[in-house]
Amino acid sequence: MKNHADVIIIGGGIIGCAAAYYIRKKGYSVIVLEGSPHIGNGGSSRNGGGVRQSGRDPRELPLAMYAIKHLWPALSDELEVDCEYHQDGNLRLGKTQKHLEILEGLTKRAAACGLDVKMIDGDEVRRINPYLSEEVIGASWCPTDGHANPLTTTLGYYKMARRLGVHFITEARVTALKKIKGKLCQVITQDDVYEADTVILAAGLDSREIAATAGIDIPMQPAMLEALVTEAQPHMFDQMLGTAEADFYGHQTKHGSFVFGGSSGLEGFTKDNHTPVTSSMTAPCICRGIIKYFPVLRDAKIVRTWAGWMDLCADKVPVISPVEEVPGLILACGFSGHGFGISPAVGLILSQMVSGEETALDMTALRYDRFKAKDLKA
Amino acid sequence: MNDRSRDIGPFVPAPDDDMIICRCEEITKGEIRQAVHDGMFTLTEIRRYLRTGMGLCQGQTCSKLVKSIVAKELKVSPACLEPATSRAPMRPTEMYILGNEAKEVR
Amino acid sequence: MKRYDLIVIGAGPAGLSAAIEAASKGLKVVVFDENDRPGGQLFKQIHKFFGSKEHKAKIRGFRIGQQLLEEADKAGVEVVLGAVVEGLYLDKEITVKIGETLYHYKGDAIIAATGASENMVTFPGWTLPGVIGAGAAQTMMNLHGVKPGNKVLMLGTGNVGLVVSFQLLQSGCEVAALVDAAPRIGGYGVHAAKVARTGVPFFLSHTIVKAEGTNCVTGVTIAQVDDHFQFIPGTEKHFDVDTICLAVGLSPMSQLLKMAGCQMEDNPARGGQVPICDENGQTSVPGIFVAGDVSGIEEASSAMIEGRIAGLAAAEYLGYAEKSEVSKEKAVMEGQLESLRQGMFAPGNKGKKIEQTQEGIPVSENLLTRGFVADDEIMRFPGVTKKAGVHPVMECTQNIPCNPCQDACPKGCISIGSHITALPAVNESAQCIGCGMCVAACSGQAIFLVDEQIGGGFASVTLPYEFLPLPKAGDKGAALGRGGQKVCDAQVISVKTAKAFDKTALLTIKVPSEMAMQARFFKKEVAGDE
Repeated sequence: MKNHADVIIIGGGIIGCAAAYYIRKKGYSVIVLEGSPHIGNGGSSRNGGGVRQSGRDPRELPLAMYAIKHLWPALSDELEVDCEYHQDGNLRLGKTQKHLEILEGLTKRAAACGLDVKMIDGDEVRRINPYLSEEVIGASWCPTDGHANPLTTTLGYYKMARRLGVHFITEARVTALKKIKGKLCQVITQDDVYEADTVILAAGLDSREIAATAGIDIPMQPAMLEALVTEAQPHMFDQMLGTAEADFYGHQTKHGSFVFGGSSGLEGFTKDNHTPVTSSMTAPCICRGIIKYFPVLRDAKIVRTWAGWMDLCADKVPVISPVEEVPGLILACGFSGHGFGISPAVGLILSQMVSGEETALDMTALRYDRFKAKDLKA
Repeated sequence: MNDRSRDIGPFVPAPDDDMIICRCEEITKGEIRQAVHDGMFTLTEIRRYLRTGMGLCQGQTCSKLVKSIVAKELKVSPACLEPATSRAPMRPTEMYILGNEAKEVR
Repeated sequence: MKRYDLIVIGAGPAGLSAAIEAASKGLKVVVFDENDRPGGQLFKQIHKFFGSKEHKAKIRGFRIGQQLLEEADKAGVEVVLGAVVEGLYLDKEITVKIGETLYHYKGDAIIAATGASENMVTFPGWTLPGVIGAGAAQTMMNLHGVKPGNKVLMLGTGNVGLVVSFQLLQSGCEVAALVDAAPRIGGYGVHAAKVARTGVPFFLSHTIVKAEGTNCVTGVTIAQVDDHFQFIPGTEKHFDVDTICLAVGLSPMSQLLKMAGCQMEDNPARGGQVPICDENGQTSVPGIFVAGDVSGIEEASSAMIEGRIAGLAAAEYLGYAEKSEVSKEKAVMEGQLESLRQGMFAPGNKGKKIEQTQEGIPVSENLLTRGFVADDEIMRFPGVTKKAGVHPVMECTQNIPCNPCQDACPKGCISIGSHITALPAVNESAQCIGCGMCVAACSGQAIFLVDEQIGGGFASVTLPYEFLPLPKAGDKGAALGRGGQKVCDAQVISVKTAKAFDKTALLTIKVPSEMAMQARFFKKEVAGDE
C-alpha cells in the first residue's frame, strides 16, 4: 500500500532527510512528509553552516563530537555530493572584556567535557586569521570545529535517501497524529492518511502543533534569524567564525562567497506574517557587525539575504526522544538554531531508536519530559 | 510534482549538456538536468543545490531558461513551476553601504 | 521614519504618469529610480509613437519622457534618481540606496512601476562577447552614442527587434539579417517595411544554430526550423557579423512585489511572473499598486495610462479623491486604454494568424514573411491610389491603433474615421497640396507623396528619411523597392526639413514614371558602388 511504511518521518529538513537515509539503510521502508513545496525549506537552508562543538551546551556536545569524529569526514563521499566540509577550526571572537568572560565560561565548560578548546589572545587570533581587525582582543579556539554547506548536505541526504527508495512527498501538511488501540499509527495530512509502525516528528516549529494532536507539548517558540551571502571573493580563510555575543557568525564558502548569519536583537519578537520575510534592519546590522571584525569585506557586495525561523526550545537544546506514552512516536525537534552540525549524528541515532538497538550516545538529557517548573528552594 | 518518486525516466545525455545556462555561476544545462534526476523538482531546490541564479545578476538572465529546462525534464509546463523567492537587496550592494543606514531623513 | 502618501518605484512612463496623477489630487509623492536619468525606456526611444493625440502619437519617445518630467515637476512630484529600491518590506516600508547611504521610507501607498528585463535564448556561443540584448544595443546607441557593432544580426521580429534594427541602421551599423523562429513577423508591418526597404533580408522560421568565434563573435549560422522548431538540415546560412542582437521578449521585473508578499501568478500572456491585481492595478496587499510592464508586458503608451489609473486609484485609496469623481476620470482613461488594445495586435490576438483586415482586405502575406508588401499586393489597400498630380500613398496595411495622419493633412485628404484602427483611405474629393505633413506625421514611415507625371517621363516620389548625412538636391543614386532591391536610377530633387517634421526629412526623388509605385527608398551612389 502506497500510504504505508515502516517509518513515517514528518519533516523533510536535514534531520528528516538524514534520518530517512540511515533508517532506509537499515532496511526499513520510509515515507517522508514535507509540508512545504521544497525539501530542506526550514532551518536546513537558512543557517550559517557551522559544524562546531565549541559553544555548545554539554547536553548536546557529545552529538557534535560524535558527528565530527565519525560522520562528517566521509559524508561527501557517502552522499555523492560536495558537502564542502572543512575542519579548520572555529574562532569565537571577542572585542571587550565582557566578551572574554563569556568566552572563558564557554571554554571552561567545553574543556570539562573533553573538548580541545582554549582561549587565545588577539595576536594569536590574527596569526590564525590575518584578516581580523585590531579590535579583536581574544577568542576561543577549537581547532577541530569547522563548517559545511547546509544546502548541499541537506539535499545530498535527500538525494541518497530517495535513490535508496525513500518515498518523499512534498506539500503534505500534517494535520494530526492518531493513536489506534493505544499505539500511534496514523498520520493524517490535509489530503491523505498514512500509516506506519513508527513516526518521527522532525517538523521544526510545526512540531509543537503536530505533537499537540497526540497530547504532547514541547515548549518551543519561534525566533527569526537572518543570513546573507556576498559575491565571490578571493580565497581568504577556512575557519568558522562566531562572536561572543553571537551577533554574527559565518564562513567563506568553497565558491568564494561569504555566508554570514546574524540578528538584530529583536529576534523572538519578529512579526509573523507566515513567511520568513527579512526585516529591513537586520542585514544592515549584520553588515556593520562584520565590518568591525573584517574591515577587508567592506566593499564586498551582498547578493542576497534571507531569513528563517528557529525552533527555540525553552532550554535551548533539542528534544530527541521516544515518547513512551505515545508508543511509536519519536520526537526530534527544538534544535534552537544549532541543529545543522549535529544532524548526521541525530539522523543516525534516530535510526537506532527505530531499530531498537542501543543508541551510540546516551540521549537521556534530551528527553521530551525534562521540562519542569523552576525550583523555588534553589 | 509532490511525489518525489514519480518516474521521470532516466537521465539521457544530450549534445548540448555542456552549454552554460547560468552565466554568473557557470552552471551548465547538463548539471541542471542531472539535478532534476537527483530529485530536485523545484526551482528553489535547483538553486540551493547548484547556485543557479545566486550570482551577481540574481537570476535575471537565467531564471526563465532554468525554468524551461527543469520543466522539460519533468515533462510539465513551465507555468507549473514557481520561480524561486525574491529577496533583498534587489541589486548587489556593498556591505559598507548596506550597513550605512541614514541616521536622519534625507 | 519619513513617510509619503505615495511612493512610486520607477520613473518610467508608468511611474511618472502615476506620480503626476496622484500629485494632482494632492498626494505627497516621491518617485525613486535607480537610473541616473528619468523616463525609463522612454529615453532610448527615438522613434515616433503610435496612437492618437491623447496617447501622444507622432511624438518621439524621449520627448514624451521630457514632457512627463516637466508635468511631474509642475505637479510637485519629488523625483529622486540614482536611487535603488533594495527592498519592499512589511508595512509598505522600502529601503533605498542613494549614493553610499541606505534610507528607510514608508508610503501609505506604493506604486511599483519597475518595468521589465530582457529575455535571453541559448545557443552554442551565446555567452560570447558580442551577443547582446536589443535593449543594451539601444542604450549604447541612444543614450551613450556608442555603436554596438559594425555588422549585426538581429534575432526577433517583434516591435523591439524591428525598431532597434532600424536604429542600428541609423547609427551606421550594417544589419545583416533579421531572424525569427516564428513563421510570421511579430511586430508592426510598417516597422518591418522601413527596415526591409533599406535592403535588410528577413528570415522567418529561422533561428540561430550557433554563434561563431573564440574570444568574441565573428560570425553566426542560422537555419530554418520546422513546425516543431527543429532545425531542417541543409538550410544553414552563414553571416559574417561581429554582433548578435537578441530581441526575444521581456519579463516583468516583479521581484519587489514578490518579496512584499503580493500574490503572484505565472501568466505567459503577460510575459511571466506578475502580481495578481484588480482593474486599478491594486495587488493582493492593500495599498500596493502596479502599473506598466511589471504587471504585464505592453507598450509605453498603455503604461502611461495604466500609471494614471493606478495614481488615481491610490488617490482614492487614501481619501484624496471622491469615488464618483474617480470613476468618471477612470472611465475616460479606460476608454483610451481600450482603444490602444484594439486591432490586429490586440493582446487577445497574440499568436493568431489574421487573414483579413477589418475592411475585409486580405493581409499581405509577403509583409508577414519578408517584411514588405509585394508590388502585386499593394494596390488593394485603401491608402494606395493612382491619381493625376501629387497625392499621398499610404502603405498602411494592418489595423493598428494609430491616426495622426488624418489630422496631419490640412486639406482633409486622409480619412480614418472614428475607428482608430481603420486603415487610412484617400479622400478622393480633397486636393493634395504636397505639403508633406502626412509623410512626417506617420510614425510608421509608411506615407509617400507620389506625382506620377512630372514631365519627361519622370515621376517624383517623396519619402520619409531619417538617416544622416542627409542627401542633397542633385545627388544621384539608386531607387530601392519595398524589398530593398534596386529598381532604377534616381536623382534627388529636394530635401525638406522643418520643425513641424520633427527631424524626419522629406526626400523627393525623380524616377522614371513607371517606377512611381515601386521606388520607396533612396541610396546615394558611392564611388565604387556597383
